[in-house]
Amino acid sequence: MRRIFPLVTSAVFAGAMAMSMPASAKPILIGLDTPIQHQVGKDTIAAVKMAVDEINAKGGVLGRKLAYVVADEGVDPQLGVSAINKLTSDDHVNVLIGGYSSGVQLAQEPHIARSKTIWLGVGAASPNITALVGKDYDKYKYIFRVNPLNSALQAKQIVDFATHVVKGQLHRDKVAILGESAVWVRGLVPVLVKGLEKNGMKVTYQQLFDESMTDFTPLFARVKDSGARYLLIILSHANSDVFVKQLYEARLPMPYGGIDVKSMTPNFCSRVDGHAVGETTVNFITRAPITKKTIPFWDKFVKENGRAPVYTAPGAYNAVYLYAWAVRKAGTTKADAVIKQLEKADYLGVGGRIKFNKLHDDIDGPGYQNLLFVQWQKDCTRAVVWPKSVATGKIVLPPWVK
Amino acid sequence: MGKRNTIGAAVLLALFAGLPPLLHNHYLTGVFIVCAIDGIWAASWDFFSGLTGRENFGQALFIGGGAYAAAFLNGNFGLNPWFSIPAGIAVAVVFALLVGFPTLRLKGPYFALATLASAAIMQQVAINLWQYTGGSEGIYGLDTLIESSLGFYYLVLALMVATVVVLGLIARSRWGTIMRAIKGDETACQAAGINVTFYKIASLAVSAAFAGLGGVLFAHYQQAVTPDDFDVFLSISVIIMAYVGGLGTIWGAACGGILLNLMLELMRGLGEYRLWVYYVILMVVLFFMREGFVAPLWRRLRGGNA
Amino acid sequence: MLTVLIYGAVTSAVLAMLAVGFTLIFGVARILNLAHGAFYAIGAYCAYSFTALLKLPLIVSALLSVAVVAVFGMAMERVLVRPLRRSSLAVLMITLTVALTVEQVLFIAFGSQSKNVPAFVNFPINVHGVSVDGQRLLALAIAVVLIGALWLFIQRTRLGSAILAVSQDPEAAQYMGIPANRIFTIVMGLSAALAGAAGVISGPFLSVRPTMDQTAMITAFSVVIVGGLGSIPGSILAACIIGYSQTIVAFYLNPEWTGTVSLVAILLTLVLRPSGLMGRVVNA
Repeated sequence: MRRIFPLVTSAVFAGAMAMSMPASAKPILIGLDTPIQHQVGKDTIAAVKMAVDEINAKGGVLGRKLAYVVADEGVDPQLGVSAINKLTSDDHVNVLIGGYSSGVQLAQEPHIARSKTIWLGVGAASPNITALVGKDYDKYKYIFRVNPLNSALQAKQIVDFATHVVKGQLHRDKVAILGESAVWVRGLVPVLVKGLEKNGMKVTYQQLFDESMTDFTPLFARVKDSGARYLLIILSHANSDVFVKQLYEARLPMPYGGIDVKSMTPNFCSRVDGHAVGETTVNFITRAPITKKTIPFWDKFVKENGRAPVYTAPGAYNAVYLYAWAVRKAGTTKADAVIKQLEKADYLGVGGRIKFNKLHDDIDGPGYQNLLFVQWQKDCTRAVVWPKSVATGKIVLPPWVK
Repeated sequence: MGKRNTIGAAVLLALFAGLPPLLHNHYLTGVFIVCAIDGIWAASWDFFSGLTGRENFGQALFIGGGAYAAAFLNGNFGLNPWFSIPAGIAVAVVFALLVGFPTLRLKGPYFALATLASAAIMQQVAINLWQYTGGSEGIYGLDTLIESSLGFYYLVLALMVATVVVLGLIARSRWGTIMRAIKGDETACQAAGINVTFYKIASLAVSAAFAGLGGVLFAHYQQAVTPDDFDVFLSISVIIMAYVGGLGTIWGAACGGILLNLMLELMRGLGEYRLWVYYVILMVVLFFMREGFVAPLWRRLRGGNA
Repeated sequence: MLTVLIYGAVTSAVLAMLAVGFTLIFGVARILNLAHGAFYAIGAYCAYSFTALLKLPLIVSALLSVAVVAVFGMAMERVLVRPLRRSSLAVLMITLTVALTVEQVLFIAFGSQSKNVPAFVNFPINVHGVSVDGQRLLALAIAVVLIGALWLFIQRTRLGSAILAVSQDPEAAQYMGIPANRIFTIVMGLSAALAGAAGVISGPFLSVRPTMDQTAMITAFSVVIVGGLGSIPGSILAACIIGYSQTIVAFYLNPEWTGTVSLVAILLTLVLRPSGLMGRVVNA
């Protein structure tokens, strides 16, 4: 009798403790699938950390804290697939955030779908990624793209920029196009050309080149000879620093700009010895009041990390907040319920409002996420020259162009 | 095969077969699947290069050939994925014949460079003919051969064991003896009346067939192919696996493949430093263990005569 | 026309600098040094570090960088390669792991973004009406000077004759009292210095990032295969052929195909004349 009494009391006590403990002390786990050795990966992680810390400081989500775990996807589809498997089957994350290379992303899709885990993409732009949602909704409904805009939308916005700024402000209507020969560029260029011509511009020369190309001088000669007065560029993996340096060396007699992913990084201009002055590139964020959240995010990121963020950072930050919002609305982390909320979302992010179309792809438009056309100006400062609603400066010609 | 070797093989097999269901973890099963495929690739490379001493630096040509064959049939034409296996093997063998005839007469480093260049050219073709191959994005959305990952694993494991057994049998037969003789002194073989060219090309074709088989399995596991499947880095990884396993042993090469991939995956915890640590370990192993790691280790454990 | 002539010359010059070092060490020591691209990368990153981080003057940085690479190459040869020299596959593998390790160290230390190596000559120079970037002309000049100096060194000095002797028959040379081992180390140092110099001089107008060793290796391969492994004149000739082919294709045909030029050159060489233009007979 004496032995049993303490046993029973402890059991009752333990039972009472268990019942009174918050039902979900288990954190909500975010799986970060990103190339950790690259800047886009490092900034994705830093941005997620920032968002997670902020949300936890305010009490977490549904009484649970947020936590995250990182898996390297490199730029290798095999590593990417095993990263997805690790995050979903080993770490059992509630949501996946990340991405960079479209090739890796496309290979990962069936594995993400199989794991029935929500994926919030922040880095890859191929339209094929979300096209799968339309082709087989039940299988691929977990896929969302928070950032960037897919390349078809980017083409549309570049046409806008060309029409209003290149033709409208600079009065130049003959355009040449140079881009790397990636699949997404090949899909983008015809859309671009059609749009430009529809708006009264003429494409005098277009050429794609291999992304490992390091000698662009022959291309610049051809661009010049074609009579073009503006050069549109589409670069992502190509050697932008070499391109810009050689363009400066050749003193190509026209302004230029377009998509140059590497030029999005805030230290790009100084890394090419200031020779990028005059280049206009699309950005998804810059230190300007695009929304009321933009500058606070930017300044806090710089303070915490000692560097300015690249384009995956605002996307990742938004993704965490968006997911937290959707989980709160749904009252659960169960994927199907959260998906329903995400599909209805119209959430104010750092770069604009985030809303998804039927293919779970982020949309553009006034107030939503749009491309910012940012130009490197004197002393490597940056000015937003388009769209007008958020412009902080006027477009200028490169210093050697009269 | 020797009683001790049989026991060792049985224990190893039991381990490989028994671990995944015990761990009950889709991720780890996936890792084991890739390990087994790496084992097939390493064994296939070792069969040709380990026995004849001619270092083939373009095994990825055959791997990618098998993988893209699978992608065309299943991805572009929607055929049942099981058809990919004979197709992939056939394509790899054709590549071996195409590459073998002009290059097998070349000596040491020239043969290595020639095979390396062939794979690199094929990679460039895969990127440039983007209308058919999907360019650098590749072909994705392929079907898997077996829905359950455990089931897929047993398929691959069985095929890996079959690979090692078949190649091992050939290596122990007269064919294998001739291959080793070619490694020793090719001119003497020729003088002895052996059709050296036939044996070299046939051996390369066999090596390619199994590499292509591995490529097909890989394509249907990943459910995607990209030009990376032709990459020189893949060729080199396969060589490293065979080297660490023990050149010329075939089973050792397979174990090397399994070991190295397992190591790489389990080292994810090292974050950014993962690859650096891996390469330093490799450097140490390659420097201090000229005979490899796995095969000599087994010889030591087993004791007794070779 | 003149543009193609000059640009072709610059491209060929950089190709030659990479290839000559690679073929030299093979010709003398029968070593296929897969770390050669890493030497190139280390040269460029040293130039970046010394100028941007330590703020040393350009000339000093350049010379120091080449010295660092040379020492690195000699150390690698002495510590890792010499003990394994009996097996050519072992040497291949160990130099490969060195290259992979170096690439990782560069990733970890410097990050994935490209770095800026400042140019010696920052302005374009007018050559008979064609405006060429000064740094590129400097690269051409330096390549010519260095390769010429190497050639003279080998042909005219005692050490050079020793190198030639060792490359023809290491054992016989050893009997003659020439320390073959030490010669191998010295030659590796020369080879590394050339590659490092190529990295320093072309860093300003090419891309300096951790994976730059890979492009350098592929380039070096194509040139030495076409020129013939082990032949310096062959490498120079092949560099000109491939360099000019690339420039002509880029200027007159389709810039999308410049990457395939070197691969096609390799294919043609291996099928038609595997020993290359000036290499030794290589059939088994």
